[in-house]
Amino acid sequence: MIIAEATSAPAVRASGLAQIIREPMLWLVLSILVLGALTSPHYLSALNIQNLLRNAALVGLLATGMTIVLITGRIDLSVAANMVFSVIIAVVVTSWIGRELGLRWIVKGNTFAGSPLIFVVISLLTGTAIGALNGVGVAYFKVASFIMTLVSLTALRGLSYLATNGAPFYLKGAFFNWLSDELWLGVPVSFVLLVVLVLFAHAFLSRTVAGNRLFAIGGNETATLYSGITTNRYIVASFALSGLFAAVGGLVFTARLKSVEAALAQGYELTAIAIAVLGGVALAGGTGSLWRVLTAAVGFSAGLNLLAIWGVPTWYQNLAIGAVLILAVSLTRLNHKN
Amino acid sequence: MTIVEEKSSINAAGGWAQMRFLPEIGDLSRIVVLGVLVVAGQILYPGFLSPENLRVVLTAVAGIGILAFGMTMVVITGEIDLSVAGVAVLSIVIGGLLLPTGSPALIIGATLLCGLCLGLVNGIFVAKLGVSSLISTLAMLGIASALANIFSAGQATYPEKIAEYMWFGRGALLGVPVPIFLLAVMALACVFMTRSSTFGRKLYATGGNARAALLSGIRIDRVKIVVFAFCGLCAAITGLIESARLGYINPAAFPGLELKVLAVTVLGGAALAGGTGSVFGTLVATLIIGVVNNLLNQMGVSFYMQQVVTALVILVVVVPGMRNRRFVK
Repeated sequence: MIIAEATSAPAVRASGLAQIIREPMLWLVLSILVLGALTSPHYLSALNIQNLLRNAALVGLLATGMTIVLITGRIDLSVAANMVFSVIIAVVVTSWIGRELGLRWIVKGNTFAGSPLIFVVISLLTGTAIGALNGVGVAYFKVASFIMTLVSLTALRGLSYLATNGAPFYLKGAFFNWLSDELWLGVPVSFVLLVVLVLFAHAFLSRTVAGNRLFAIGGNETATLYSGITTNRYIVASFALSGLFAAVGGLVFTARLKSVEAALAQGYELTAIAIAVLGGVALAGGTGSLWRVLTAAVGFSAGLNLLAIWGVPTWYQNLAIGAVLILAVSLTRLNHKN
Repeated sequence: MTIVEEKSSINAAGGWAQMRFLPEIGDLSRIVVLGVLVVAGQILYPGFLSPENLRVVLTAVAGIGILAFGMTMVVITGEIDLSVAGVAVLSIVIGGLLLPTGSPALIIGATLLCGLCLGLVNGIFVAKLGVSSLISTLAMLGIASALANIFSAGQATYPEKIAEYMWFGRGALLGVPVPIFLLAVMALACVFMTRSSTFGRKLYATGGNARAALLSGIRIDRVKIVVFAFCGLCAAITGLIESARLGYINPAAFPGLELKVLAVTVLGGAALAGGTGSVFGTLVATLIIGVVNNLLNQMGVSFYMQQVVTALVILVVVVPGMRNRRFVK
């Protein structure tokens, strides 16, 4: 009740350059880059920036899907498990199809070398289907999204182990090399993919009726329902989109590692939530901008990369993530109070 | 996360008052599930109800259960605590750092105090700064587990020489293993606290309708701080029990514990919107999970299949309850 009131009034927006200047995340990214340039000669090297953007592509994809669900006032804890599961299912099913066709798509026992097209289609379909399943549970069976996706997280991790017996699969082929290493005008192809997808998703959210309805559901669900909008369908769609983004994230992630295993990416759902929150998305729903989330993903990766360059142990990096997160929400909160 | 709608539809209609009389129905269904599982277990495996096996079942879930009591109270107030794994691990690591002193009172005291203080910090962030508990405890999870690794330099320590410490995991009191004894004591204390004390009423009122509670003179900020501190204490106790059972203090222990504990809490009938749930329900849910895991182990089902089955059990038990709740309106 209190939450709905706080989120329903949209902030008055300044236009053009003034709006860009006011973005705190942008300033954070800039200051990290300047700090990096001042303290390390390698920070602004092309290689490091490319690495940084590859990381941003992965966490950005997960955070984008998460944001779409958060906008409707729900949460998707299954993104990381879904991303690993969809790739594992793609490996298993594609190699089964290969076996049926009499082709050797699994070489050396555990190396996948099958058709990338079938692989990609199956993984995207799996991710979307799992997302839609979450959505159906949440929308039609009225299971709290936190519980529904927590349950599917547990189940998907278990199923991923069962499908692989916990052993890794190696991924071989030109497609995986292309997705992880190819540069377009110096920018990694995975990051270009993220930007293009964010462009589409942003256009969907802000320029289409369906997108606006997602915001409406997050702002005031009862009012949206009473306006004659079938909220349930939109909720399912938002979860399906989150699943799709998770599957794309899975492709980007496993292409980089050239392997996939069930235990991969544990806890990434929390990273995705953290980035969405840093990007200004309210957990109560109804607000959120994918551009800010994209900036937050870059800022997050840039910050972690800087800590790594400084030689800060991973433990302190985790400490920094926690501290930044709590600082960000506390400041937002204090800002609201004023 | 359908916080807005659920709160206005269920709880405004006097949800907490209803739930004080209604939970018998929900608890009854859980008790029936538990009963069926126990009977099925005894039929399939005649040794299932032997004292030895019961001891195994109960000891295995004692830690999770105690922590779930604390979590249940947090969830009743409409908040969530994702930091429990971090709090548990940092607490036992602090105790582990004091192992060289050889003083059991100091080691155990510091462990429990650490849990209590971290919980207090969580509570202050949520109640005083008004930060979403999902985010602030998520941050606390990262911070506490990072600090645990930093303080211990990633090294495990071994408390086996401190007999009093080991007592929490391997000792026995009147023939009952200490973890089970603690589970029972904590269950009694928490049931009393939530059902028969003024604090319990304040707890349900805070989660049911925070504004109404505030207007009736309940200091909801204090209620929240107390439950978060208590949940932190429970996390430290769980850490103590589990590390004593294993015989070593591992700074990388308990990954994903928060999700397991939340699963038990939800299975026990607590809705994340707040205002509903009971410690007794959580106790029954703990026993259900223990029995299911034990039966699956006896059947030789792999650990990963157990994850899938546990997830399905939660869904099957939780979904009908959710549907009912929609009709309460």
